[in-house]
Amino acid sequence: MIGTTLPPMTIHATPTFVISTALATRDFQDVHHARDAAVARGSKDIFVNILTDNGLVQRFVTDWAGPEALVRSIDIQLGVPCYAYDTLTFTGTVTDRVTVDGELRYVIEVTGKGDLGDHVRGTVHIALPEVTS
Amino acid sequence: MTETERIEAAAERIAAQGASAPVLGRDPVNQAMVNTWTEAIGDANPVYTDADFAASSVHHGLVAPPAMAQVWTMRGLHGTRAEDDPLGAMMLALDEEGFTSVVATNSSQTYHRYLRPGEHVAASNRLENVVGPKQTALGEGWFVTTRTTWTVGDEVVAEMTFRVLKFRPSAKQAAAPEGARIIDAPEYSDGVLRPVISLDTAFFWEGTQVGELRIQRWGDTLRHPPGPVDPGGDLDVKPDYIVARGTGTVYSYVVHHHPKVPGKRLPFVVALVELDEGVRVLGELIDVDPDEVAIGLPVRAVFLRIDDELTLPAWEVVR
Amino acid sequence: MSISGQAAIVGIGATEFSKDSGRSELRLASEAVRAALADAGLEPADVDGLVTFTMDANAEIAVARELGIGELRFFSRIGYGGGAAAATVQQAAMAVATGTADVVVAYRAFNERSGHRFGQVSTAAAQQVNTSGIDNSFTYPMGIATPAATVAMLARRYLHDYGASSEDFGRVAVIDRANAATNPNAWFHGKPITLDDHQASRWIAEPLRLLDCCQESDGGVALVIVRAERARELAHPPAVVRAAAQGSGPDQYVMTSYYRDDLASLPEMNVVGRELWRQADLRPSDVDVAVLYDHFTPYVLLQLEELGFCGRGEAKDFIADGMLELDGSLPLNPHGGQLGEAYIHGMNGIAEGVRQLRGTAANQVAGTDTVMITAGTGVPTSGLVLTSS
Repeated sequence: MIGTTLPPMTIHATPTFVISTALATRDFQDVHHARDAAVARGSKDIFVNILTDNGLVQRFVTDWAGPEALVRSIDIQLGVPCYAYDTLTFTGTVTDRVTVDGELRYVIEVTGKGDLGDHVRGTVHIALPEVTS
Repeated sequence: MTETERIEAAAERIAAQGASAPVLGRDPVNQAMVNTWTEAIGDANPVYTDADFAASSVHHGLVAPPAMAQVWTMRGLHGTRAEDDPLGAMMLALDEEGFTSVVATNSSQTYHRYLRPGEHVAASNRLENVVGPKQTALGEGWFVTTRTTWTVGDEVVAEMTFRVLKFRPSAKQAAAPEGARIIDAPEYSDGVLRPVISLDTAFFWEGTQVGELRIQRWGDTLRHPPGPVDPGGDLDVKPDYIVARGTGTVYSYVVHHHPKVPGKRLPFVVALVELDEGVRVLGELIDVDPDEVAIGLPVRAVFLRIDDELTLPAWEVVR
Repeated sequence: MSISGQAAIVGIGATEFSKDSGRSELRLASEAVRAALADAGLEPADVDGLVTFTMDANAEIAVARELGIGELRFFSRIGYGGGAAAATVQQAAMAVATGTADVVVAYRAFNERSGHRFGQVSTAAAQQVNTSGIDNSFTYPMGIATPAATVAMLARRYLHDYGASSEDFGRVAVIDRANAATNPNAWFHGKPITLDDHQASRWIAEPLRLLDCCQESDGGVALVIVRAERARELAHPPAVVRAAAQGSGPDQYVMTSYYRDDLASLPEMNVVGRELWRQADLRPSDVDVAVLYDHFTPYVLLQLEELGFCGRGEAKDFIADGMLELDGSLPLNPHGGQLGEAYIHGMNGIAEGVRQLRGTAANQVAGTDTVMITAGTGVPTSGLVLTSS
């Protein structure tokens, strides 16, 4: 299991994607839905919010691990912004396994890379029911 | 007190207040928001939306995506921060010192269990630390770290360490760079040597026209003069740019006496300036007695507008 | 395989050095090549290779036509202005060592004073539509538009970092002009200067004074290169190419490498120096005569440091101690250099190196067996070590 590479996931960050995810995460800051406001604040366009990055990282891992994988933690660090019209490509590798409170967990290192470079890097801990049971 | 001392004192005071009172989310965990979220994110995991699948799963019923933990207690469009919210207080303290822009940098969430529709989550925050001032690609700023605890009743269901950079916007963060001095200088136009502009350098010259000293950025790396390839060698990434604050010090300089240079009046001073952002940029140092110039002299950017097509970056002494 | 010892310079030729040659650059090139061949005891028909600078206005085929050089099997050009000088010999040496050609002539000829003067602002250089033009767009429009100004920026930082002074630069000019004064072929023959003259000369681009800047010249120089074995059959004692190197540094620009952490340095010359010492298997103390490129005095100090003749920042003391005078431990530019003899883009310095090894120089340094020669500084550059055997 350790060393396994996850199938890549590609996200086209259309304006619709940026705005719908911002609102679905109840984030109404204008830089995530109003281009003029984003430009006035020095960004080149609206950009993806951090709550969406959490969601994308979760999806990327469970798309591979299966619907019943249990997500125990998501730790992410943001790099360059992901602006509207960028393409994000997520890649990941299983790097370790740890036991927490008697539960075996796999550690997955994830990178989401956009047009400007690494947008998000993170570490996810999951437990797999068939392994824990 | 200095600015740094004031900020550190505010941080100490706010951190000492401890955790804020728990604030309930706008709505309990509910299927409508879960559906909206999973559709927007594109997460097709049936344990969140398919009741039959969820019932036979390890969860024995529908659950909310763990990554939505923070969503349940977001304030929403018209929400206001609680008065005892430490992040709000710290943001205000930094706003007052001119660190008015904010960007999230880290989020570390731990989920103790999955949430189910109908559960009402509350959030409590405390200030963990404030670190700065730091020079960043966005500008000078402070890293503010908070700790959030989510509870259902008395049970802690999830926790988060969240870090934001609260920064003083460099010129780019303002709609028009404040204080950028664009000087009409048609007297320089006679024979002035015009730049050869490439796809890689056009943004720089477009910037000078609007009073912006634009510095190419590849990820976290600033590069001047600009070029087409990431200094790290990654051919798949593209650059953007920052607008430099325009302030720096003279790293070296020349007083040019002979021969005549088109568009310049003899003698003139050209300075290689090390910007506060750390890169060197060349330009004429105007309105200065050559004897006054020395390595280390503080200068700021001005812009010599030659004509509709060309504006040259230049420097003036900070007095 | 190494290039060391494989080839030799067997002929040197030059026109007179003047301020107005009164003839075309192609005529100067032809005269210089003819003179070099005559010196070697060879005929134009023996030549099968030609090398020059990309900046030279005389195409190899034009020179070949004028001189009746029939077929050419090898022709090559080196870029980056005066940085090409020693590299033309390197190209020729590689060509003859590999049997690509048998007799190669390297040449450089121009009316640099009466025609196109490098010391003036070149709009063409500023606005060439290529990467160099794009590079120049961050200097020329801002007012760094002459070679002297490009050097002055670095020289100012050097003075600041190492506590050197304008007098330290001036000592290089005094040495060159003293040597030129006793070289009948030098433009400044009979015209030495004092350090006071240097200090009294007008500013060109502070901290550079007029007497820190080399003269501008009309003239041509050519060098004939053959395999070392063949060289021993020819008229003069050969000047063996013991080492030949090119060098470009990190973050390199042409005259304006202003963005390196350490501005007051010439890392491209450090590359050349390391390679020369390695190829020749020699140390600085083995060098009998140094012909260092001297279009501007500050770069002579920097070269002494980059080549390892002294430590970083110590060149001023090295010069003040008299090391570089004709009776010093490292005689510098016995012909008078480009400040004193002529500015032929470094090629006249290579000819001087050959004369010193032959024992025929105007200011002969007795017992010269090993000469180091460098090419243009501040640009991607080159260097040679020539030895008498």
